[in-house]
Amino acid sequence: MEKAVDARVSGAQRTKVDWMYYLIRAGVIFSIACLFLPGLNPARISGMISSKLSLFTVGVSYSSLVSQFGRAFRKEWLTYQDVQILYASALVIIVGVVANGANGCMSLGNTRMRKLGTKIGMAGSIVELVGMAGIYAAYLRVCETSNPDKIEPMFPTAYWILLVVFVLVLVLNVAQTGILSRYPSEDKYHMETKFSLFLMLLPFIVLCILFSYLPLWGWRYAFFDYKAGQSLSWDKFVGFKWFTQLFKNAATVRDVINVMKNTLAMSGLGIITSWLPMAFAIFLSEMKSSKFRRFVQTCTTIPNFISWVLVYAIAVCIFSTDGFISSIMVNLGIWDSGKNLLMNNSHTWLQMWGWGTWKGIGWSAIIYIAAISGIDQQLYESARVDGAGRFQRMWHITVPGLMPTFFVLLLMSIANILTNGMDQYLVFENAVNSNSVMVLDLYVYKLGIQDGSIPLSTVIGMLKSIISVILLFGANGFSKLVRGESII
Amino acid sequence: MAKTAQEKIDAKAEKKYAKKHKSIYRTTPGDIVFNVINYAVFGVFTFLCIFPFYYLFINTISDNDLVSKGLINFYPRGIQFSNYISLLSINDLGQAFMVTIARTVLGTALMVMASALVGYLVTKQELWHRRLWYRLIVVTMYFNAGIIPTFLNMQMLGLTNTFWVYIIPGIVAPYNIILVKTYIESIPRELEESAEIDGAGPFKVFRQIIWPLCTPILATITIFGAVGHWNSFMDSILYMQSSPQLYTLQHRLYVYLNSTSNLSALMQSGGSSAENALQSLLSGKVVKYTISMVTVLPILLVYPFLQRYFEGGIMLGAVKG
Repeated sequence: MEKAVDARVSGAQRTKVDWMYYLIRAGVIFSIACLFLPGLNPARISGMISSKLSLFTVGVSYSSLVSQFGRAFRKEWLTYQDVQILYASALVIIVGVVANGANGCMSLGNTRMRKLGTKIGMAGSIVELVGMAGIYAAYLRVCETSNPDKIEPMFPTAYWILLVVFVLVLVLNVAQTGILSRYPSEDKYHMETKFSLFLMLLPFIVLCILFSYLPLWGWRYAFFDYKAGQSLSWDKFVGFKWFTQLFKNAATVRDVINVMKNTLAMSGLGIITSWLPMAFAIFLSEMKSSKFRRFVQTCTTIPNFISWVLVYAIAVCIFSTDGFISSIMVNLGIWDSGKNLLMNNSHTWLQMWGWGTWKGIGWSAIIYIAAISGIDQQLYESARVDGAGRFQRMWHITVPGLMPTFFVLLLMSIANILTNGMDQYLVFENAVNSNSVMVLDLYVYKLGIQDGSIPLSTVIGMLKSIISVILLFGANGFSKLVRGESII
Repeated sequence: MAKTAQEKIDAKAEKKYAKKHKSIYRTTPGDIVFNVINYAVFGVFTFLCIFPFYYLFINTISDNDLVSKGLINFYPRGIQFSNYISLLSINDLGQAFMVTIARTVLGTALMVMASALVGYLVTKQELWHRRLWYRLIVVTMYFNAGIIPTFLNMQMLGLTNTFWVYIIPGIVAPYNIILVKTYIESIPRELEESAEIDGAGPFKVFRQIIWPLCTPILATITIFGAVGHWNSFMDSILYMQSSPQLYTLQHRLYVYLNSTSNLSALMQSGGSSAENALQSLLSGKVVKYTISMVTVLPILLVYPFLQRYFEGGIMLGAVKG
């Protein structure tokens, strides 16, 4: 009942003053974003400040701010004081933005909480403007440098944008205070549960957006002529140049065809043998001794929990020049000297599949083992009575019982056909087998990070992501059609 | 243990039944052949899974002379542990070890707390736009922008070459959130409601009721999270290009495995000349093996004891919400 009253009161008040709060919140969100975006750094008043620094970094990490200024200080182009003013201003702005953030959160509460919020917000806005004045002062001092060519004093456009936002938020806060003073305050600070829960969730939503959705903004590099370390500008816009190059440039086409061949071959091997874990589980459950079964299960699942680097370390200790096989062969006198079996390119796809199976089969079997224990034992009993042999029982009872699980996993692996993961191929790649292990993920990594052709690798990654999502939804639709159940 | 009358009757009936259908349960020669082959195949495969670790281990604790001659293949000889002690003199390694421990502990702790809280919040019907936020988080499991845009994003956020790039992106783990949410939904609502009637706020309910009740699922995601952090090296390769002091242990191992120079040179940076003489006996092989062993050991030691939690994880994964 308390909730109903609460909703009515705050609901009535919200209709009158809420549009202003929307503006304030938008302004606050924008200024928080500005804190973290290096492109909108109002404190970049000199060309010597890296374009990769955000306002937040400037205000929090003095050391990264002055990292470029060593020479400037020594030659007395600048004084320490100039930079310290800038640093302090940035810090002050951060404090102001945090205060306004608190205001934005408190605006979800009742009138009493909102009144306190606007006070904090006004104080925050004033503090922000003080910080902006500080940046301006620092700019004026930087302009008086004895060596303008090196220091490159500049006045960032972001300064004006942010200044306008700060002033707007201040004005709105003042107006809001005026409006709120007409409403009586409640006895207690209070916020509806739905909003207080939301505020608890908010930080995690922000993290999710920052690390999962914001990268999509990076797809714009696919349409620009961009080289690592440069900044992006419209005169470098090239439209679909990289997309056409993907299909027209002979060298790229050859690479891509080879890469696709490898990718599909390795995924294909995985799909063709995807019944292996099921067979593993079925035969394992045929064992009478539960202790041995347990032991096998423990031992065969361990490889799943070591990284691909460690798998490679194991490959080295067994197959390299001075590894297990070589030393046995040499000691028996079969080989004259050790051979590095990892350095060969025969059956590379099979080798990679073998390592993947060694690592994963025990673990993949567990889900089937659990499914087998869920099959009704009476089915087996009655089959026995009807004279079914061991293999008949496996084939006619166990296998059909496991089919739904198998079907889901198979569809998932088809949906993931373009995704092999790059860890394995990265660690096992060497000069000899490079051509046959180059899968899509690894290719994108090499192209983008090592060769620095960011636009082209973005294009390929982008196409891969889109095709994967389409495949996933296709598989899901198919599953719905056939089994009436979705897999995602 | 005394049997009840009913059990006695049951046992009798079973015996009678077995006698009657004896032919069905008799072990045939075919069964014996099947069992022998079955046990043999699994025996061999289990051996293949275990032997490499054993081989690695015996080569790190045996006499280094014999090891470099390739004579240690099935059992250790001249047992000594000096290799492990001499690893202490590789400075980079200690640093990498500390970084890995720090990221494993901190990263896992934050991820588990976040998963628990978010998993709880998205079960609350009162939450403002609950479905929207839940979908927003869950959908991220099914797409990603690709490795290059992700890399550029980290650069833009100023996280490259900082320790935080190991921690912060991993805090919100959608899959774990689903696991926790599904688990919380299986807890009777009445428990929560009775606490709410007693005047507990949502956060108090979470701390005093939900958190303790979720221990099994939290244990599972803790273990998966910790293993993931311990094993990860791609983020180190991608984001630490100019900060080798922040390399993880796995990345260090990767670098050492690929280095062609004699690794024993690494060990001779410090120590007395007598020590150097001893260390020069070490071949690169032994150093590589020992570092591998140190890296794999925590998992080998922890795994058998926590196996049921690992298995719990995959079972829960089958139930998606």
